[in-house]
Amino acid sequence: MASTGSRRAQPRDAGGVVRAGAANGRGGLPVPTRVFGLRRVTMGRYLFCYLMVAGPLLLFVLFRVIPIARTLELSVFNWDLISPTRPYVGLANFAALPQDSNFRLALTNTTVFAVVTVVSSVALGLAVAIPLARRLRLEGLYQLIYFVPFVTPTVPEAVVWKWIFDTRYGVLNYLLSLVGVGPVGWLTEPRVALWALVILSVWKGLGYNMVLFIVGLRAIPAEYTEAGQIDGATGWTHFRFLTLPLLMPTVLLVCVLSTISAYNVFTQVYVLASDIQGAPGSVVRVLIYDIFENAFRFYRMGYASAEASVLFAIVLLLTAVQLRVLQSRAEA
Amino acid sequence: MKRQHARWIVIVLIAGLLGLGGTAVPGGAAAAVNLSLWGGYPEIMPVYQRVVADYQHEHPEAKVTILITQLRDYERKLAASIPSDTAGDILEMASATMDRYIEAGLIPKAPPGIAQFVRSRSFGGAAQDHAAVGGDVYGVPWFMGVGAIFYNTAMFKAAGVSRPPQTMDELVADAKKLTTRDAQGRVTRSGISLRLFGGGSGVAEKFAILMWPFGGEILTQASPGKYKAGYDNAAGQATLAMHLDALYATPADSFDLKHDAEAFELAQTAMFERESWVVGDIAQHAPSLQYMTAPMPRAKRWGTIFNPVNLYVSRSAKNPDAAWDFVKFLMQPQYQRQLLADVGWLPQRQDVNYDPVFARIPQYRAFLIKDKTYVYWSMPEIRDFDEIETKLADRLVSAYRDRSLAGNAAAIARVLHDAAQETNTILKRDGLYGE
Amino acid sequence: MTRTRLAATHLALAAGAIAMVFPFLWMIATSFKPATEVVQFPPRLLPHAPTLANYARVFATAPFARFFLNSLVITTASTAIVVTTSSAAGYVFGKFRFPGDALLFVVFLATAILPLETYMVPLYLVMRDWHWINTYQGMLAPYLVMSFGVFIMRQYFRATVPDELLDAARMDGASEWRIFTQVALPNAVSAMAAVAIIAAIQAWTAFIWPLIIASTQDLYTMEVGLAFFQQRFTVDYGAITAGATISMLPIVVAFLLFRRYISEGIALTGFR
Repeated sequence: MASTGSRRAQPRDAGGVVRAGAANGRGGLPVPTRVFGLRRVTMGRYLFCYLMVAGPLLLFVLFRVIPIARTLELSVFNWDLISPTRPYVGLANFAALPQDSNFRLALTNTTVFAVVTVVSSVALGLAVAIPLARRLRLEGLYQLIYFVPFVTPTVPEAVVWKWIFDTRYGVLNYLLSLVGVGPVGWLTEPRVALWALVILSVWKGLGYNMVLFIVGLRAIPAEYTEAGQIDGATGWTHFRFLTLPLLMPTVLLVCVLSTISAYNVFTQVYVLASDIQGAPGSVVRVLIYDIFENAFRFYRMGYASAEASVLFAIVLLLTAVQLRVLQSRAEA
Repeated sequence: MKRQHARWIVIVLIAGLLGLGGTAVPGGAAAAVNLSLWGGYPEIMPVYQRVVADYQHEHPEAKVTILITQLRDYERKLAASIPSDTAGDILEMASATMDRYIEAGLIPKAPPGIAQFVRSRSFGGAAQDHAAVGGDVYGVPWFMGVGAIFYNTAMFKAAGVSRPPQTMDELVADAKKLTTRDAQGRVTRSGISLRLFGGGSGVAEKFAILMWPFGGEILTQASPGKYKAGYDNAAGQATLAMHLDALYATPADSFDLKHDAEAFELAQTAMFERESWVVGDIAQHAPSLQYMTAPMPRAKRWGTIFNPVNLYVSRSAKNPDAAWDFVKFLMQPQYQRQLLADVGWLPQRQDVNYDPVFARIPQYRAFLIKDKTYVYWSMPEIRDFDEIETKLADRLVSAYRDRSLAGNAAAIARVLHDAAQETNTILKRDGLYGE
Repeated sequence: MTRTRLAATHLALAAGAIAMVFPFLWMIATSFKPATEVVQFPPRLLPHAPTLANYARVFATAPFARFFLNSLVITTASTAIVVTTSSAAGYVFGKFRFPGDALLFVVFLATAILPLETYMVPLYLVMRDWHWINTYQGMLAPYLVMSFGVFIMRQYFRATVPDELLDAARMDGASEWRIFTQVALPNAVSAMAAVAIIAAIQAWTAFIWPLIIASTQDLYTMEVGLAFFQQRFTVDYGAITAGATISMLPIVVAFLLFRRYISEGIALTGFR
C-alpha cells in the first residue's frame, strides 16, 4: 500500500490527513486564521465529518442504541413480557447465571462453535477466493455456486440438511460408509450435533467471506504481484510475505464479522432441533437459543436480558481484542 | 456508473409502488364492521375461509380478515401485540398460553350470552373448565389435541397380534413382538416409536403421557395453587425403565431410525402415540397405509392427554359484539364437522353428530371415547410449567442416552429424584410449591 | 500458475462446488415432487412424476404476487439507504480523524453484537408509540443501517483511497463533498456492491420482524408468507421447497447483477 509507509513518517495536521509536502509544517499554503484554537480548514473538515455521520448516527440511535439500551436495562428487573408490573431485583439475575447449567453449556458450546467456525470459514473463504480473484476460467459460475448457500433463506436449507445428516438414510453417512466409517449420529448424539451445526454454518457462510476476500484481493494493485514474481517469490512465500500483509485489513474485517455472526447463531439450531415432524435433532444449546428460550418460552425477559448483557460484553471484548491485534498487524 | 445505478433503483422503487397499488387486497373500504381473526394453525385455514365467506354473505356490512402464522411465531406475535393493544380482534389460542394474559388482566370476560353457551351441554366438563378462569368464562372452546395409539394393522396381523394393546403391559409385549432386526442385531423396524430427543418440551410431554396410566404426572397439585413434582415415584421409575429397556434391553426402538409420524408413514415403526392431525397427514403422504387407532392403554388409570384451544376476543377489539357474533357463527355444526373431516383436529363441541365423519374415517373414533371412565386429563396451567417441562425434557434426553441406567433401579430413581429437585426449586422460586 | 497446479485448483474448486450445490439440487428437485414422493425412502433425487402442483399451491394459498412486491420494495429501499449511510459513515471513519471518532465507531460496531431478536420488544413498543405498526416505515425501521456495512466501507476506503489523491483534490480547491462524490465513491463501487448484496439479503430474508410488525396480510413479505407452509407438526416439503426456490431466484439475479459491479469497480481505479 503506497501510503502506509509514508503515513507514519509524515506529520499529520489536526484534520487527521497527511498533507503532501508538509515536511516543513506549512505545505506552501497561506497560514489560515484560528477559530476556537483550530484552523478554519480543520473546522470545516470536522463539520463535514459530523454532517456525514449525523444521518446514520440518528438512525442508529433511534433504531438500535435505544432499544438495545432498554433491553440491557431490563436485566435488573423481573418481567414476564406481559404484565404491566416489573419488580426491581438488582443483580440477582446476574448472580443466578453462573449456577445455571443451561447457561454454562450454552457458553461453552457457542465458544467452541465460534472458534471452529470462524477459523474454518475464514481459511476456506480465502482458499476459494484466491484462485477466483485471479479470474480463473468459469470464475463467475464458481462465485455464484459458492455464494448461493448464503443467499438462500436458512429455514429450507436446514430442513434439507436434516435429510443429509440422517443417521440411516442420509447422504453424508452413505459417503462415509464408502470409506469404511461407521454411521454417525449427526443430529442425535449431542457432541456430534455441534459438528453438524459447524458444517452447516461453514457451508452457509463461506460464500460471504469469499466475496469480501475477492474484493480485498482485487484491491491489491497488480504491481505488487508482478514485483514479487520478478523477484522469484513463489506460491506460499509469495502469499505469506506479499499478499497476506496487504490483505490484513480484509482479514481483520472478515474475522470480526465472522466472530459476531458466530456468536449470533440461532436459526439453524432452531430448525435442526425443533419438534416438527422429521426426526427432531439434538438441541445444540447456544447462547442466543438460551436467551430466546428464556425470553419467549419461559417468559423470563429480565433473566434473558441479563444473559444478553453477558453475551454483549463477551463479544465486545473479543471484537476489541481482534481490532487491536489485527489492526496493528495491518498497519505494520 | 453511479447515476445509472441510482436510476435503476428509482425505477424499481416506482414500479414496485405502482404494483403495490395495483395488487392491493381488494374491497373493504366501505365496510362498516372490520374484524380480524388471528390463528396459529395453518392447516385450519380452509375452514376459516369457508366460515368467513358464509359470514360475509350473511352480513354484507362485515369484512373479516384472517391472519395465520405458524404456532411458535404466533405466540411471539401475541406476546408483542396483546400488551400493546395491537392484536387482532378474535384470537385463537391454547388455554394454557392464554391464561397468563388473562391473569394479567389483558383479556376481557366473555359476555353473559356467550358464557351461557359455554356452560351448556354443548361442551363437556373438561372443556368448560379450560375456557374459564376463576369461575368466569373468557373464551369459547374450539378444538383440542387428544392423544391415541396409532398402529399398523398389516404389521400386527403378520406378527400374529390380534388386537391393539389394552393395557400398558400388553403395549410393552406387543412392541417387542413387532420389532424386526437385521443380521447384525440392529433394529430395522421399531415396535414402538418413542420420543427420545428434540427441542422444546416434547420429550417430557410424551413421557408424561405414558406415565399417566401408571399413576404419575409431571406436577401433582398439593393444594389449590400449590404443586410439587409428581414423577419421583414408582410410576416415574416404571416409565423411565420402560424407555431404557426399549432402547437397550429388548430392544424395541433405536436412535438411528426415523421417528414419529414420518417413521409411521414410511412403515418403519409399528406403533406410536400422537394426536389426530396425523390422520390427515397420512391421507396426504401415505394414503395406502393400513392402520387404525386405539385409545390409550390402561394400567392403574385409563385416560389420555387433552390440550384445548379456544377462541377469545381481545381487549382492543373495536366491535366486540360483532366479534363474539362471528365466534358463535363459527360454532355451527357444519364447521365442526369440516374441522374434523378435512383437517383432523377434534372439535370440543360434543352435541354435534360426528357419525358421518366416523363412517368415512373410522380412525377418528379412538379420540372421542364416550365411555365416562376414560379420563381426559391435561397439564396444570401455571406460569412456570413450560420451563419445568422443558428442563425435565433435557434431563430425560440425557438419561435415554445413558446405557448404564438400563436395569439399574437405583440409578433410575436417582435421575428422577434429581430432576424433581430442579422442578421443585423452580416452583419454590415463584411461590408455587406446596407439600 | 503451472498446469498441474491449475488442474488441481480446478478439481478442488469443482469438488467444493458440488458440495455447495447438492442440497439445492435436492431442494429444487423436491419442489417438483408430488406429496407421496416427498417422504419416500430410500430418498431418490429426481421426481418420478414431476408436477407443478407445489408451485400452484404456493400461489393459490396466498397472494404471493403481493408478498413478492412487498419484499421487492422493502429490499430495494433498505439496500439503497444502507449503502448510502454505510458509505457516508465508512468514508468519514476511514479517512478522517475527529473528536469522538473512535467512540462513535465502537458504538456503530457494537450494536451489531446483539441480534434483532434480543431487542425487538422495546423496538416494537417504539413503533407502537409512533403509530408505525403495520406500515412500510415500521417494517423498514431496523433495516436502515447496517454496522457491518459501515465497517466494510471503512476498511475499503482506508485500504484503497490514498491520502495523496484526496489532498490533490483539495489542493485543486474541491470541497469535501465533491471529493467524496467524485473521487472516493467511484473508487469504491465494488465495496458498495458487496454491501448492497449483503443488505439486500438481510432485508429479503427478514422474518421475525416483518412477522410481528404486520397485522394484516397485505403487508406480508415472501419469507413470512412461506413460513405458512411450515406447519406445526408437519413440513409440507413440496410447498416449502417450491417457495424457497421462488424466494431464492431474485437474490441470485441480484447477485449476478452486483457481481459485475464488484468486478468492474476495480477497473475504475484510474489513479493507479
